Amino acid sequence: MGKRKFYDLCVHAVPDGDNSVEELASLARHFGYSGFALTNHSDKLPQKKPVLPSPEGFEIIRGIELVEENPSKLHGLVGKFRKNADVLIVHGGSEKVNRAAVENSGVDILNHPSFEKSSGINQVLAKAAADNEVAIGLNLRPLLHSRGSRRIRLLTDLRANLDLARKYDVRLVLSSDAMSCYDLRPPREMLALAELFGLEESEAIDALSTVPERILARNRPSPGKVREGVEVVEEADFL
Amino acid sequence: MKRLMPSLRSKKRYLAFELLSEEEANRGELVREVVSSASALLGDVLASECDIRVLGFEAGIGIIQCSHSRVTETRAALAAVTRVNGARATLHVLGVSGTVKRATEKYLHDHAVFEPKRGAFED
Repeated sequence: MGKRKFYDLCVHAVPDGDNSVEELASLARHFGYSGFALTNHSDKLPQKKPVLPSPEGFEIIRGIELVEENPSKLHGLVGKFRKNADVLIVHGGSEKVNRAAVENSGVDILNHPSFEKSSGINQVLAKAAADNEVAIGLNLRPLLHSRGSRRIRLLTDLRANLDLARKYDVRLVLSSDAMSCYDLRPPREMLALAELFGLEESEAIDALSTVPERILARNRPSPGKVREGVEVVEEADFL
Repeated sequence: MKRLMPSLRSKKRYLAFELLSEEEANRGELVREVVSSASALLGDVLASECDIRVLGFEAGIGIIQCSHSRVTETRAALAAVTRVNGARATLHVLGVSGTVKRATEKYLHDHAVFEPKRGAFED
């Protein structure tokens, strides 16, 4: 087995965040990531589609984080952006939005599900998320930038969601949710934080490496793919 | 006081790191930030078990000492540093070693602190 590849599936660049894609990418590569997904919020997209640079040995993945309060409009947005995005995230935060996100198999990740006095996920949503292969996002930025009561709340919610994810076999994705260069953290540090927050070492590695790879593989079908479960493989692939 | 015998001394790990920061920081400012981050994230009890000490810090690179059984917790505490002296900053652990000498030779020699603003994709 080769060296493990790490991906940060939620990074925001200008005009959403502070830094340009190039700056973020060079730092992430320096930290040892294999790639990250540029997922600007859908309400802060630039006028025209940015041309993503493709530096050597690093992958910038086209993604989006949808912000929409109305569930039926959210389903519409998922349909609209799905074709062009390899990573599609929904910014949760209310019961209706969370439910719409986990019930739509076009969604890859649900971020920030918690609201008011709830962690945002219950057994019904966890089951739907597992069925539709929607992962729950663990974002580091709010955890690092808060202290005291606020951080305690966030960690309590994280634990509650972690328990549900384990019980119902929901995937987890660990990401920085970076708004600037200074929000990015190296992969080993992300794993250390995740372990401290209650994940097992193998769960943390899955959340930063295996699950992102699986999401990318699902959204970027190989050229020989005919339809779900049917694929034309070249002879060379077997050898 | 008589020095502890080597076999009785607690085992340590040495973390070579670089600090990526908006503004240059000195050792005192970094120490304050690391200690406060460890105490806030881990709590005073666990932070004391980690036994974190900033041994040296100059020109953006340095060595931090911690207990050999608490490397993960120490890494997490270091990753939780978001600002040093008010300026945004990130601590990047370059490597972990059992001796200061090895950590310095292996990770800090010829290490230029990374600047995100400068020359993207050139290195």
